[in-house]
Amino acid sequence: MARTTGPGGTAHTAEGVAAVEFSGVTRSYGAVRAVDGLDLTIATGGTVALLGRNGAGKSTTLTMLLGLLPPSTGTVRLFGGTPEAAVRAGRVGAMLQDGKAVPRVTVRELITFVAATYPHPMDVTEALELAGLGEFAGRRVDRLSGGQAQRVRFAVALAGNPALLVLDEPTAALDVEARRAFWRSMRAYARRGHTIVFSTHYLEEADEHADRIVVMDGGRVVADGSGAAIKRQAGGTLVSFDLAGAPTGPLPGLPGVSAVEVRGDRALLRTTDSDATVVALASLGLVRGLQVVPASLEDAFLTLTSAETAPAAPVTPAVPAAPARPAAGAPSAKERA
Amino acid sequence: MMLDYVRLEVRRTLRDRGFVVFGIGMPVVMYVLMTNIGVGAGGAAMEWKIASMVGMAAYGALGAAIGSGTGVAEDKQLGWLRQLRITPLSPVRVVVGRGLTASVTVLPAIAAVLLVGALVNGVRMPAWQWAALAGVLWLGTAPFTLLGLGNGYRLSAQSTGVVNTGCMVLLSIVGGLWFPTELFPGWLRALSSWTPGNRFAELGRSVTQDGAPGPGTVAVLAFWLAVFGGYAVYAYRRAARTP
Repeated sequence: MARTTGPGGTAHTAEGVAAVEFSGVTRSYGAVRAVDGLDLTIATGGTVALLGRNGAGKSTTLTMLLGLLPPSTGTVRLFGGTPEAAVRAGRVGAMLQDGKAVPRVTVRELITFVAATYPHPMDVTEALELAGLGEFAGRRVDRLSGGQAQRVRFAVALAGNPALLVLDEPTAALDVEARRAFWRSMRAYARRGHTIVFSTHYLEEADEHADRIVVMDGGRVVADGSGAAIKRQAGGTLVSFDLAGAPTGPLPGLPGVSAVEVRGDRALLRTTDSDATVVALASLGLVRGLQVVPASLEDAFLTLTSAETAPAAPVTPAVPAAPARPAAGAPSAKERA
Repeated sequence: MMLDYVRLEVRRTLRDRGFVVFGIGMPVVMYVLMTNIGVGAGGAAMEWKIASMVGMAAYGALGAAIGSGTGVAEDKQLGWLRQLRITPLSPVRVVVGRGLTASVTVLPAIAAVLLVGALVNGVRMPAWQWAALAGVLWLGTAPFTLLGLGNGYRLSAQSTGVVNTGCMVLLSIVGGLWFPTELFPGWLRALSSWTPGNRFAELGRSVTQDGAPGPGTVAVLAFWLAVFGGYAVYAYRRAARTP
């Protein structure tokens, strides 16, 4: 499922019309560009994670996807038509981030109502079971715990048996146990052949539960592919060793090295070719405490997103250069420390 | 599917203790107190019992109608309106459904005050007059529903509660639903006859007196229906633009 879509990605995949297609979409709030030139095509079937930090543009993207917010420029298509048309046709179900419990209705009343608005809904009891709400069906929604209320919102999203299920940070505010239960439910829904798009800032969640990860930062897609592909794209291996006072100047130029970071006396090199890097380090005699480990998804994520926000500085100068200005005395030394 | 929505919202309203106590209980209690304390017996007393019955039923209905807008503001704040927008239910049906909900939730207050009038205060009228009275009071709530919905779509939940309660009390008092306008100074009485609350009660009063509302009453209410209707449409459009 690792497919990347560049600018001008096609609406039609081998299976037919794409479930979701963003082309050249921007969205500004005043001077702030929340989404900045987004091109993204999601085929039907499978689970896609939108991964990014807070403020990366995930929620704005999903809000536009659902037709609740018009893009400033560009177009959003769902199943080849407008988001409104797809929603009206009952092809979309969503769990919004800021939804609260609807007071004075029971769980079953609420889910029965929502299901009845869709043309081909799921059986209500089945939807309640799938969301893990079987035993709470008769309880009032506003008298449930936070985790249970979250399950109600999930049940609201899937009650209509929609072809596209959109979940905006579905596990925020859930404890570990509830989170596990939630993903079990979601996978059960995905197995029915539906398309699922969820946003998260938890890397493990994206890696574990999605076939495809779209990493967003600064309103743009900075990486797109499977978890493994993203790790490769960000530079697969971390090589670290003790500097023992050695100069760091030559390190960025070593074969395979894509980024250098110095923590105390230890240098961390991100490399796409760890063998070549290690051989080069050995020739320089820089092998004290040498460690070679595969980059975690977390590392990959940080590389991708920090490269986007600070494009000029993937490489950190390790040793402060000699002060150029004699006037800059104690304060600037303190700033560097 | 719109009727399912109406059913859900009616249930939610009737389960609201605040609505039951203030929306239904309050007009009934006020009616009983105002017609039984310091009021003698005889023809004048019975006339007051009928007039106050119409006034308090109108007050209760007006409160329930405007109050339905407070529910809308709450739903907006909870994200429920947004959630409804991503179901296949169209926005127009949601708004119309809300209006229909209000038309159902005004009924308990009207029924409760009329029942107390008949059973406690011994008001006697022919059956058709009871039915006509309930009917015009029910239909006459439409402008107030639209005013409440307009406030609900335009304002936050907190402001809507305050503004709607303010509108209700002001329209009720100036309209002469609590105290008869005969007690007002001349200028206020003149002003009162142009307000929707006054004409709404007049609608009911005319049924208990000579059988049919005058054209002036219908015209003033139609005017306010158009004004509040326009306001509600404007407020809804504005609310839809900023989800």
